[in-house]
Amino acid sequence: MAKYAMVIDLERCVGCRACMEACKVENDTPQAVFWMYVFRFEEGRYPNTRVWFLPRPCMHCDNAPCVKVCPVGARYKRPDGLVATDWERCIGCRYCEVACPYGVNYFNWKAPEKNYYLDWKDRDLGPVTHGATPPYKNPDLEKPYGPERRRIAGGGHLKGVIEKCTFCVHRVEKGQTTACAQACPVFAIQFGDLEDPNSTVSRLLKKRPHFRLLEEAGTQPRVFYLGGHPPGGEVRQIEGVKARV
Amino acid sequence: MTARGEASRFETLPYGVGRLTGGWALLVVALLALVGWGAYAYSCQFVEGKVVTGMRNIGTMGGATWGLYIAFNVYFAGVACAGITVAALIRLLNLNALRAVARMAELLTVITLILGAFSVLADLGQPLRALINLPLYARPQSPFFGTFTLAIAGFLFDSLVYLYLAGRRDAYLMARYDTPLRPLYRAWAAGYRDTPAERERHRKTTFWLAIAIIPLFITAHSTLGLVFGLQVGRPGWYSALQTPAFVVLAGVSGVGLLLVIAAILRGYLREEQRLGTGVFRWLGAFLLVLTLAYLYFVVVKVLTGFYAGHHHEQQLTQLLLWGAYAPVFWGSVLLLALPAGLLLLQAITGRWNIPALVACGVMVNLAAIGKRYLIVVPSQTHMSLLPYGPGFYAPTWVEYSIIVGLFALGALLYALFVKVFPIMDVPEEGVR
Repeated sequence: MAKYAMVIDLERCVGCRACMEACKVENDTPQAVFWMYVFRFEEGRYPNTRVWFLPRPCMHCDNAPCVKVCPVGARYKRPDGLVATDWERCIGCRYCEVACPYGVNYFNWKAPEKNYYLDWKDRDLGPVTHGATPPYKNPDLEKPYGPERRRIAGGGHLKGVIEKCTFCVHRVEKGQTTACAQACPVFAIQFGDLEDPNSTVSRLLKKRPHFRLLEEAGTQPRVFYLGGHPPGGEVRQIEGVKARV
Repeated sequence: MTARGEASRFETLPYGVGRLTGGWALLVVALLALVGWGAYAYSCQFVEGKVVTGMRNIGTMGGATWGLYIAFNVYFAGVACAGITVAALIRLLNLNALRAVARMAELLTVITLILGAFSVLADLGQPLRALINLPLYARPQSPFFGTFTLAIAGFLFDSLVYLYLAGRRDAYLMARYDTPLRPLYRAWAAGYRDTPAERERHRKTTFWLAIAIIPLFITAHSTLGLVFGLQVGRPGWYSALQTPAFVVLAGVSGVGLLLVIAAILRGYLREEQRLGTGVFRWLGAFLLVLTLAYLYFVVVKVLTGFYAGHHHEQQLTQLLLWGAYAPVFWGSVLLLALPAGLLLLQAITGRWNIPALVACGVMVNLAAIGKRYLIVVPSQTHMSLLPYGPGFYAPTWVEYSIIVGLFALGALLYALFVKVFPIMDVPEEGVR
């Protein structure tokens, strides 16, 4: 059985947010929803300041607080380590969201038809696409996955349910990597199987010191960071996104 | 039978049962209008989604994902638990002076539990799905499990049984009157004849039910405290104090509201004899002890937050004491300290003043609502462990309307019950 994990090299990350964009396009997420988010931090005092970046997907914790609190088992941990959300079972109580210390959960506050990152019905889009309307929904996002056959990919975006980063389960089950890792121009994001000693993630973690976010919370995340350090109280967010629906 | 004849048949019933006055009808119409307004607001939310509320995601959206609905769910559940517990204590400790408020407390519990359940439904993104998925897939590991089973379902069932059993004798006595309500009383009495053997059986049953209610109250309301107190990832929530403080504040709000209801009914029914100063003295003393205990919890929480707390705990404490939430915090503390002082003064002098007690009941309830809000909201808007920056939450007209609608629904159910069934024990000598 695979044991999936993500390794993010903070020394490589240039804060371009291509991973955020790729995630939005791949998963067709609604406006103001960032399953992958990149913090842009500044620390120190002028002239001795430093700017650095911290990509933040879902941590897919082994001891996930969101899984513990879900009253109906819509949020669950798969044997391969992915923390999945069954959007057909979710009742929209948002307990997972308040329990998560990483702020990775997004509730669908309204029906997202006109709320996608790219509104294909937008008149201004016509000249760009020459009138072509790309498929509105990626059929892979709607399918059931895993032996339990539950709908856990980025489909749906139903009003009144919670969603979050799926580690691109629809791609991973086809043997592909996640969209964010695929899009990263500097190979800062790596995704793979920890059980395989020859995988890139295993070799990187063996070779280089690493940390995980908020380890003191006991959540045992599956996202590892190389280089850099966890964000302390002294960091300031540059142009923090405060997009709301 | 003419309308005049119908009215005269109700004249003999105790406690104004069946006598519909103009003032009462006006109140019912006003309450119905408010309930209708709340229902309209909910229909907007149901159709458009939670986007019509002021709630938004924690993190990049800088919001609070739980708001007024959850704060009021905790408030209603607290009032409910305290209501039936007072009724149980009256039964267990033979507090005959308080017997007049026993049914008021039982009814308060049943109604506020319904309101608590509705406020959870108002909060859920998929309420219809929840009605199916909660029974189908319930997980006891989730602290919400206790909220749905113990705090709402178990308590509602227990309270209804208690209300039913405790009312059988009165239903039997009321069935002696020839009124259109007789079939209802007969159904409620269900063959009860008030024989010595039946009385004894009832006494034993309600005694054991009352014994079961006390630990159920503590565990049920504790599970509600654990919904917050177990979350290590949310500074301000993760605390062993959360659970006992929840239980005590439940007592404060429940006894306070019962005081207000007893005073209103005292005036409305002109029952100065049965609802005499003795009743209010007892309730006032209860309220004093509980309010002082809760103030003690507030002081301890602030001290631990400041002295040994993690820097997030310190930030939260500062936020409450002189930050964005200071007005609500100090307002709530004042609305607890002032009644505590007033009650203490009355206890020392031995002069219990009913209007002053009612004012105390109102104040502690406003304080309880404020404290519930402070438990739910600031830890979401300002206490992310990752540096997202501060957020904000401002409820919208939809949330306010639904909450007002729920209060109106509660008052409406209370007003209707009072006209259908005696709100206090019927004295034997008053019945033909």
